[in-house]
Formats: sequence, C-alpha cells, structure tokens
Amino acid sequence: MTRILEAKGVSKWYGQVIAVNKVSFSVGPGVTGLLGPNGAGKSTLMKLITGQLRPSQGDLTLWGERIWNNYPLFYRMGFCPEQDSFYDRMTGAEFVAALLRLHGFSETEVNQRTDSALQQVNLVEARDKKIGAYSKGMRQRIKLAQAVAHDPELLVLDEPLAGMDPVARKETIRFIRILGKEGKCVIVSSHILHEIEAMTSNILLIHNGQVLAEGDVHDIRDLIDKHPHHIYIRCSEPRRAAELLVAFPDVVSIRFHPESNALTLESRNPDEFYSRLPGLLLRHEIALEEITSPDDNLQAVFHYLVK
Amino acid sequence: MTGRFRIAKGWRDMKTIAYLTLDTLFWSKKTIFVVFISLVVLGMAVLGRLVLSYNWIRAPFTPAQVFSTLMSTAVIHFMVVFVTLFYGTALISEEVEGKTLTYLFLRPIPKPAIMVGKYLALVWTSVLLVLPTVVFSYLILYLRDDLRPFWEDAGVLGKDIGIVFLALLAYGAFFSLLGAWLKHPILAGLIYAFGWEGIVSYLPGFTRKLTVTHYIQSIFPHENAPASLAMLFGERTQAPEAVSTLLLMTALFLAAACLVLREKEYVLEQ
Amino acid sequence: MPIYDLSYRQWSGVWTSHPYRWWVITRQGINILGRKRRFLVLMILSALPFLVRCVMLYLSTVLGRIPLLTINAKFFEDFLSQQMFFVFIIAIYAGAGLIANDLKANALQIYFSKPITRRDYVMGKLGVLFFFLALPTLVPGMLLFFLAVLFKSDASFLEQNYWVPASVLGYSLLIIATYSVVMLAVSSLSKSSRFAGIVFAALFFFSRIFYQILSVVLRSTRVAWVSLGNNLTQIGDYLFQVSPQYQSPLWLSAMVLGLLMLGSVWLLHHRVQAVEVVK
Repeated sequence: MTRILEAKGVSKWYGQVIAVNKVSFSVGPGVTGLLGPNGAGKSTLMKLITGQLRPSQGDLTLWGERIWNNYPLFYRMGFCPEQDSFYDRMTGAEFVAALLRLHGFSETEVNQRTDSALQQVNLVEARDKKIGAYSKGMRQRIKLAQAVAHDPELLVLDEPLAGMDPVARKETIRFIRILGKEGKCVIVSSHILHEIEAMTSNILLIHNGQVLAEGDVHDIRDLIDKHPHHIYIRCSEPRRAAELLVAFPDVVSIRFHPESNALTLESRNPDEFYSRLPGLLLRHEIALEEITSPDDNLQAVFHYLVK
Repeated sequence: MTGRFRIAKGWRDMKTIAYLTLDTLFWSKKTIFVVFISLVVLGMAVLGRLVLSYNWIRAPFTPAQVFSTLMSTAVIHFMVVFVTLFYGTALISEEVEGKTLTYLFLRPIPKPAIMVGKYLALVWTSVLLVLPTVVFSYLILYLRDDLRPFWEDAGVLGKDIGIVFLALLAYGAFFSLLGAWLKHPILAGLIYAFGWEGIVSYLPGFTRKLTVTHYIQSIFPHENAPASLAMLFGERTQAPEAVSTLLLMTALFLAAACLVLREKEYVLEQ
Repeated sequence: MPIYDLSYRQWSGVWTSHPYRWWVITRQGINILGRKRRFLVLMILSALPFLVRCVMLYLSTVLGRIPLLTINAKFFEDFLSQQMFFVFIIAIYAGAGLIANDLKANALQIYFSKPITRRDYVMGKLGVLFFFLALPTLVPGMLLFFLAVLFKSDASFLEQNYWVPASVLGYSLLIIATYSVVMLAVSSLSKSSRFAGIVFAALFFFSRIFYQILSVVLRSTRVAWVSLGNNLTQIGDYLFQVSPQYQSPLWLSAMVLGLLMLGSVWLLHHRVQAVEVVK
C-alpha cells in the first residue's frame, strides 16, 4: 500500500490534558473512516493531520514531509472542518471562489472550478444566496465544496454528514465513495458506525486518544461477535419467554426486569437468535412489545474492545 | 522556486488576503461606529468655524488654533488609536472568534503572508476612514474669503497627513501584534494606549522613548498642542530619527505579529 | 378531518416565578468570573489603592495634621474617583461579554425557555456587574470610613463627618449603576464582546475628548456635561460637599446621566429577545 499519511508515536496534549496518546498508523489511497465517540480525540487528530496543531511528540508526515508550517502541502490537501463557521456575508459561490484565489488560480480557472465544485455538491441553484441564509445541510455542503474545489489528492472531512437530511446524506456518501474509487485519499471522521460503514470498510478506531483498532470493519465486527450480545425484550409473558429461550445453546444468561415486564439476555450468535425469535413467540402466542439491543452502537463496540 | 517567483507569489498572496480581509473589515458595524466618530469630529470643526465666523467668544481665535486642538486631541490621541485598536485587534481575533481562521491556514500561503495581507487591509481601511476627517476639518476651518491662511498652513496639513499616516502604520502594527498574540487584546490595548502611554510620556529619561506617542509628539507641528506639555519633561527626538524609529517600530511589530501567527497554535473553541 | 392551527401558540398555563430568580444568573456569572485567574489578579490590583489609603489614614493619625494627609470628605471622594480606573477596566472585563456571548451562542433562547422573564435576565446580568464593581468602590469606601472612625481617639471626626457614609454609598452606587447599565446595554448591541468593550471605552474617552475640544473652542467649562466622567465628578462633588470642578449646572449632569441610563434600559429592553428577527 502507498503510504500517504504516516503517524509514528504521535501525542498531543493541552496543558495537563492528553488528547492524542502515542498513536501510530498509516493511511493510503481510498476512503478511511476515523471512528470514535465524542471526545475520543478525532478532531485533535484531524487538526494534527491538517497542520493546525503541532504534535507535542512523535512524527506525523504527509507524502514523507512534516506537516506543521509546511504550506505547499495544502496545494494537495482539502479540509472540511467540523465547525459551522463561514464568512456569512458572502454567497456560496463567492466563498468558494475567494478560497480558490488563495491557491493562485487565474480568474477564469477560479470561476470554472467554483461552478464545478458547486455542481458536485448540488448547490448550483443556491450559489448566489448568502451563506447566512443557508440551511444546516447546505452549509455542510458548501464546506465540502471548498474542500474539493482545488481537486486535492488528500481530503480530510471532519463529521461531514452532521446536520444533513437523509437525501443529502445519501448523496454525500455516494460522492465520498466516488472520490475514494478515483484513487484519492479520503479521511472521514464520524461517531456513527453505520455512516462510516456506508462509505468504507477501512476504519481507524480511536478512543481516549489512542488507536484501538485499524483495518477492515468486518474483522472488527468478527471480534465483537465473539462476545455475548445483549438483547432487551419486553413482552406479555417474560417468564415463559425466558423458559423457551434459555433452551437455545447461544443464550448464555437471562436477567429479569419485573417492574417493566421485560428481560435482558446475552446471546453468542445474535443473527441466528433474531431469525428464530419471531416464529418462537408466535407459536407460543406471546405478544412482543419491544425488542432492542443496547449493544448496537459504537460505544458498545468500544466497550468490548477496551474490555 | 526562484527568488523572483517567490516574491511575485508572496505579493500575490498578500494582495488576495488583503482583498478578502477588506471585504469583511470594511463592511462591518465597526465602520458605522468609526464613521459616526468622524462625523462628530467634523461637527466640532463646524462648531469651531461658527465660533470663528460669528465671534461667539471675545478672546482672539484663529483657524490654526482650532485645527491644532482637533488634530492633537481628537485625531492623534483618539481616532488614530481607536481605529487601529478596533481594526488591528480584529484582524486575527475575529477569525479566531468566528472560527474561520481554518480556511486561511489550510491554503498554500505562508502564515506571515496572511498577516501582512491583513495588515495592508487594515492600513487601507484606517487611512480611508481617518485621513478624510483631517482634510475635511482643515477645509471647514480654513476655506473663507481670505485664502492666505489656507495656503500658509497647507504645509502643516501636509505634515499632519504624513504624521497621521505614520501613526496609523505604527499603532496598526502594534495592535495587530496584540490581536494575534493575546486572547483579550482590547483590554491590553486600552491599558497600553490610555494607561502606559499617558503615564510614561510624562516621565523623564529614556522610559518615554518606549512609547509610540513620544515619536509622534516629537514631529507634531502644532506648538500649542497639549502634547507639547509632555515635551517639557524631556527633549524631542529629532525628526529624521523619530520618523525612522516609527517605521522601524512598524516593521518590528509586524515581524513579531508574523512570528506569533506562524508559531502559535490557535485552538478554535467548539 | 381536523384542521390544525400551525401558527405559534402562546403559553396558556400559569407563569410561576419568584422575585429572586435573577439571583441564579448572578450567582452563575460570579462563579464563572471568579474562576478566572487573570480576573482575580485584576481584582487584587484594584485593592491596592485601598491599602495605600489605609496607610495614609494611619500616617495622618500618627503624624497629626499634614496638608497632604488631611482626612475629610474629599479624601473619600478622591478615593472613589481614583477607583474609577479599575471600575472601567473591570466593567469591560466582566461586562463586555455578559450579553454579547449569550447572543453569539444563541443562549437567550435557552434562558427564555425557562420560567424567567427579560427583567430577571437583565437583573441577573446587572447583579454580576454590581457585585464586581462594588468590590473596589462601595466596600473599601465604607471600610475606609469605618477605619478612620476607629483610628480617631475622640468623637470629633464622627461628629463632623457622620454624613460621609451616605455620600460614599450614594457616589458608589451612582458609579456602579452608570458603568453597569451602560456596559450591559453596549454588550447587547453585538455578538462580539470585543466590539462591546471598545464601544464602551470609546463612549467614555470620546466624550472626554469632546469636552476638551469644546472647552478650548468655547473657552468655558460649562460644557462639562458632555463628558460622562465629568458628570460623575460633578455629582460626586455635590455629594461630598466639595466645590464643583466645572461650571456646568448640577441638574444638567444628573439629567444627562439619567437619560443615558434610561436610553440604556430602553436598548436592553429591545435587544434582549429570545429570537432575533433577521430582516
């Protein structure tokens, strides 16, 4: 794999607080998802990668060059920041064009690239509207437009889907996948597992400033499946349901919640469990009122990995 | 990259940043406030003119006296300081507060070019807002049937314009440095301009040379200005030395601001 | 098929409130500022003139009557006038962001989604400024008088100056109210605390410079009322029964300050809204 970004023992601390703790990883072409709960250190890592912060320790390089105060790298890099901030007086087109001018493009090229970037993010119709009057989703897209307008080889996207409606979200995911297929290096951060899964299978898991896992998402899922999966069931007859369910070999424990007519069980094979549960309950005429899985979120994934 | 290409690119970067900054700097609430102050100063010139024309007071009075008072009190010691403090501290801190600095820092432009580009926009804006006040005040006070005083004092007006320009350069660079460096640049700027400069100007010895105002007062052409009171306590610096010191100060403050911008990590609060 | 009214609906329930709800906002503001190290340093610095005055009191008692160390009403007025420098700095530090930062963070919507009124909000914010501005003025002013009484072995000082505490109270409250209300009104003008701070400073400095120029052009101190600081001094002179420094009438100074405060309250009333209507 061609290594574009490489981190070796990188740490960053703010005073006494450590935000990134001795992380080492490398990123190549294609889409890489940076996953982690809020406060995990994703944004700090993004800021280090984009040269907004200087590592307190370790080496962080892009194409083999250090990043801090190395401005020529920004010809090849685009960044979509997390914060919702703009020069509000400008229109969308003015904003993209003003930032393109800072790359030294000629006026004709600036106009062409602005049009193309706005087209890519579906903002052509709103190009002459003030950014201050944009919706949250449009603001996200204009941030994306300024990041891709100069056609960079590396794109760093910090929570790019935040605030987008489902349609825009789907479009953006598709757009990011295309960029990855074109051979660009895209690093995209999120704390929502399924969003990242829709874009790429290549992820970097970060928690408490440390990299927990790096690689294919399916491998990480397999790792999780080895742990029992919690399932919460609320039904008309929890005791009878428990009696039936405990007979299955993958069910390892059952806990009752008498106050809410519910039970929580642990299964080693959740997929199989879910497939046979409806039939079983139907056969025994037990009314199912609620079924949820407390494990079906990223926090649980981290919990397993940390444990 | 050849030396000539680098200079050309640097100049183009600075110009682009200056244009971008001008748009956000000039079209703001700040400008409305500064224009209001300019109008009040011009209003005072009109009042002076009325006093002169209709002899409202018995004591002898000349346009030069009124203009001198306006220049020393309202323009040099207030407008110049406030306009540069207002805009200078905003150059970087406004980008930090608005969290837009990221967009500039992630462009292929060296950070010092960002600072200098922004400083150029500051100089342009402050010149545009302050110098017309000086010229119009002069016209209001001197334009009358007898044009002899108008032409006689034209040299003083020229000097005033030059001094105001130098003061805008020096104070602008200093407040730009504070804006890039500190989290609360306004308080520090106010304490410097109205505390430190006010006190140190009256102290004997070398201490007074640690202010911008000392060099401005040294070349100030108005003899009856209150600023000359400070000169009673010490010698003036010779004009060539004062001018070159002001230019040197400008260069040093600006270089320091560039260095701060280059080395400081700006944490944009979420 | 029912047709629903989709317009905004007024709260039809009962508003419950109590007169001290503003205190929650004040307490929070005091806590936040009290945790800032730089602000604490500033507050400590503002106590230094008080210590100097204590030493002066002591020396005047020990050394007897010395012209520079005469303890009379003017001694207390001078102290409060001196403290105006710190009041100015503290007002900007503590007050510039009080409303501006809430506007920037769209926090007014959150405040007004709770059972507090605009008056509670403004009073809460004013409370923060009152507290921090009373510390370098009212509190040491009163302490200074108390100390002066303690230092004198006979009752003659108290007999001659029994009215001074009322003057200290009145002058301090006037200074605190003027700075607090104006600062808060200016803070409500913008989302930027920097802008608020500089406009407030400009208001004070420019009015002084305006006076300086007018006094030269008109060769008179009758126009002293155009300066905010001069108006405070004029009323201070009256309260401490000292001959006035300027020729401008006292009622005019009182009227200017009164109008300024009314204008500030009006501004606060209009700017402090849960939702800002963007035109």
